[in-house]
Amino acid sequence: MMQSVYPDGFRAYFDAWEARIGAFLDYDAQVLETAAGRAAILESSNGKASVASLPFGVKDNIAVAGMRLSCGSRLLDGFISPYSATSVTRLVDAGAVPVGKMNLDEFGMGSSTDGSAFKRTNNPWDTERVAGGSSGGPAAAVAAGLVPFALGSDTGGSVRQPANFCGVVGLKPTYGAVSRYGLVAYASSLETVGVLADTAWRARAAFMVMRGRDDLDQTSADSPAGALAVERHDHRTVEPRTIGVLSPDAVALSLLSTLSSGPDADEALARAASGATVLEPEVADGFEAARAALQAQGHRVIDIELPSLKYAVPAYYTIATAEASANLARFDGIRYGNRPAYSENPEELLDKTRGHGFGNEVKLRILLGTFVLRSGFQDRYYLRAQRIRAGIRRDFERVLDGCDAILMPVFPTRAFGRGEQGLSPFAQKAADVFTCCANLAGLPALAFPTGVVDGLPVGVQLVGPAFGEGVLLDIAEGYEAKHSIARPAGYQAWWGGA
Amino acid sequence: MKYQSFIGLEVHIHLLTRTKAFCSCKAAFGDEPNSNVCPVCMGYPGVLPALNGEAMRMAATVALALDCTLSPSTWFERKQYFYPDMPKNYQISQFASPVGVGGHVDIPTRDGASKRIRIKECHLEEDAGKMIHAGNVSLIDYNRAGTSLLEIVTEPDFETGTEAETYIQHLRRMVRYLGVCDGNMEEGSLRCDANVSVNLSGAGLGRKVEIKNLNSSRFVRLGLDYEIERQMQLLEKGGTVRQETRLWNENRDQTEPMRSKESANDYRFFPEPDLPVFVVDGAFVESARAGLVELPFARERRLISEYGLSGEQASIICEERAGADWFEAAVAESIRLGVDVTLAAERVAVWMSTDVRRVLNRDGLDASSLGSFRVTSARMAAMVALVASGRVSGKIARQVFDAVLAEDAEPADVVSARGWELVVDPERIVRAVDAAFAAEASAVTDAVAAMMRGDQGRARSLGSFLVGKAIAASGGKAEPGMIKVVVDRRLAQRQMAGASSQAELGARA
Repeated sequence: MMQSVYPDGFRAYFDAWEARIGAFLDYDAQVLETAAGRAAILESSNGKASVASLPFGVKDNIAVAGMRLSCGSRLLDGFISPYSATSVTRLVDAGAVPVGKMNLDEFGMGSSTDGSAFKRTNNPWDTERVAGGSSGGPAAAVAAGLVPFALGSDTGGSVRQPANFCGVVGLKPTYGAVSRYGLVAYASSLETVGVLADTAWRARAAFMVMRGRDDLDQTSADSPAGALAVERHDHRTVEPRTIGVLSPDAVALSLLSTLSSGPDADEALARAASGATVLEPEVADGFEAARAALQAQGHRVIDIELPSLKYAVPAYYTIATAEASANLARFDGIRYGNRPAYSENPEELLDKTRGHGFGNEVKLRILLGTFVLRSGFQDRYYLRAQRIRAGIRRDFERVLDGCDAILMPVFPTRAFGRGEQGLSPFAQKAADVFTCCANLAGLPALAFPTGVVDGLPVGVQLVGPAFGEGVLLDIAEGYEAKHSIARPAGYQAWWGGA
Repeated sequence: MKYQSFIGLEVHIHLLTRTKAFCSCKAAFGDEPNSNVCPVCMGYPGVLPALNGEAMRMAATVALALDCTLSPSTWFERKQYFYPDMPKNYQISQFASPVGVGGHVDIPTRDGASKRIRIKECHLEEDAGKMIHAGNVSLIDYNRAGTSLLEIVTEPDFETGTEAETYIQHLRRMVRYLGVCDGNMEEGSLRCDANVSVNLSGAGLGRKVEIKNLNSSRFVRLGLDYEIERQMQLLEKGGTVRQETRLWNENRDQTEPMRSKESANDYRFFPEPDLPVFVVDGAFVESARAGLVELPFARERRLISEYGLSGEQASIICEERAGADWFEAAVAESIRLGVDVTLAAERVAVWMSTDVRRVLNRDGLDASSLGSFRVTSARMAAMVALVASGRVSGKIARQVFDAVLAEDAEPADVVSARGWELVVDPERIVRAVDAAFAAEASAVTDAVAAMMRGDQGRARSLGSFLVGKAIAASGGKAEPGMIKVVVDRRLAQRQMAGASSQAELGARA
């Protein structure tokens, strides 16, 4: 007879890990335990990618009705969302169960999750190190096996970089492929709801449920007729593809030469920016190994160049901060959120609410965005950034005419430490070069782990044509079939079906 | 004229969409505060706007009615400024690609001609909520937040407050005709801001002053005339006009400077990333065109030429589209019932300016409610035909009108049920006259005597008296014309008889 629907020890497992990594801001232990039990029973259900009965975590900038929606900010501490994001609703309709809200850099602005107003999230591979960001909570929880998958948001790499740091799969879909309704906006034209998952197969299952046109997000779309199918039943065979490989060194070099020439050149700045994009040896080795492994699996590997990439980071931060300055204007403490008990007038209410509520990184980005949108300066900053963005998009289109996907690094380093072992805020931003370009181009990108070097995961990302998620997932699954994903010490597999 | 004045108007109209511009909340006024709100129009974290196609279509219809060119693709911008009644602290508006550009409208001038006003653009945007200060707290009602506003911007083509007032009235009538706005200025469904500058004649535009709070067409005229006078006097004294925003103070009949803090804004416009570019395709233009109707000014002119109405009559009839529709339907039906077109138009116009207006005024209504008036255009036509064919008298017709109104009945049924049809049977006419002559023998004798001595006035008044008596003898139903013919004939016979008997007497003497 059935003894218990609960897998023995899950609760203890969960509590022990969570105490070490601090991935969640809030969760319902009962719901999680029940869902874990169901998932265990369903383990060997069938070969179809499915999320039915699986628990999932949600980054705390994505709305789930009745749950907190703090965005990692003091300003929204205690705010309960009255509605659910479309992505969440679709997963729930497919039988998945949201079990909690996860830590992040405030409003998704950061690369470490240390920008959360509430707590630190540690990397399950080494708790002295960050989980990455801004979707650090989801990445850490999935890596530790606390949930099979989680929703994150990716504005400039916020799904892929933490996935890379924690050794899980991170999918940033094509812009518009998944409804943004319910994702608290940071930079509307760049970001998407993404998936962090224990395997590419799981990411595929969640993505298939979430994607498609939503009337509540008029920038969303169904994948056009003729787009490659995402559904797949056999994830063990490898269909040979042409993969364009971007040389990481070339990016750093062109960055250096561009920044150190011209009338406004600042030698030290150029060196710092370029240096921040140079891959650390372990990452570079991992990248080369992955390239070779993909080639060994029968893929055709060619070298490609994306010359406009050297402009990506400044263009990205110009557009992202401009949009952020408007998107975050609504947080005035009037209709919701925390505000001072008393204010003399609306201006004071606004000043106190935002002054106390926002952290420094958020304030910095709002100020930058306000600066670049000033009347008379738009041509120099915002419009120029949009022209660069168009150039980057054309660059990708040109390259993707000649290959099925582009292989790129995710981030120049593995998970970094804190304090002196950390990365300066400037270096963290400069290092976004490999991730933010897919957001600027609106293209799908998939980060997946390829190995472990000196106890920390390394990985790569694939960027594909619009609505080409299927190709990226196929390649990653093929890789996984040959090289199973490494898990941190103490990891236990609770979630079947993958 | 030493000075020249330039006025440009920005009129905001509330579009009569069922739902708000970017969410599915009801767009209604006067409801319980904060009852028509949702996460979207309250600017909750994570929500997105979804453009209301009906708002876009109405906006394009107005743009077409103003002879604007529709932009082939149109998008929205965020206009950023902080204000507590604006949930997102930016307004979704249009800046670089208004729905329509480069139109014009002709407004009537006092000398009967018309003046062309250029329309710079029409753009769609969302409205804010309302903030109310009550004691030491501020309350905000967001029911209006996110409702559809269309801003119609003119070039600085007006010179006087009167021209601006005429334009407002004209525009108001137009949008009501199009059914896209109720035009109510008191409730803020139609709002007007103005830019005024004064300069030496021939020297081009002067320094611009913006005037707000002009919330009636009268205040538009008063405010602008005041401001032009103020600026002229300032220039006359050698001063310079400050570029500023002023508010019309309706209690003091003057414009007053607004606090400069409130007017110094860098709106930091940038394209709204949450809404895709709206491509104006053939099907959309078709749907916008389908909303067009004959506009009031054009309709007035057509009614004058087609029905021979006076300018004043046409203007009264065309004040409301429902009124003009009712008029034309009644005339058309009258014609179908055999009434001559000019007579039918004249009769219906008279009805509209007399009994119809009397009843509407009594009930606190105006011609806009004629579409649901009990005296339908068909019933009106039936009454016109009854009178024209001589089946009822004009006097009876007014009673029929009241009965139709009171009983919601058909005029023919009212007439036959009450036996109000005129008596035209010659025998009954003769009988009625005979009865009157018998009852009023002395009046008959006097009348004949007056005729014989050539006192035409006396004879006529006694004749009318006898006609009245004969009609009364018929129970008021005899056809007056026929009665008069018989009365006149009878009196003439008596006169002839009297003359011959006098001759006889004379012969005997």
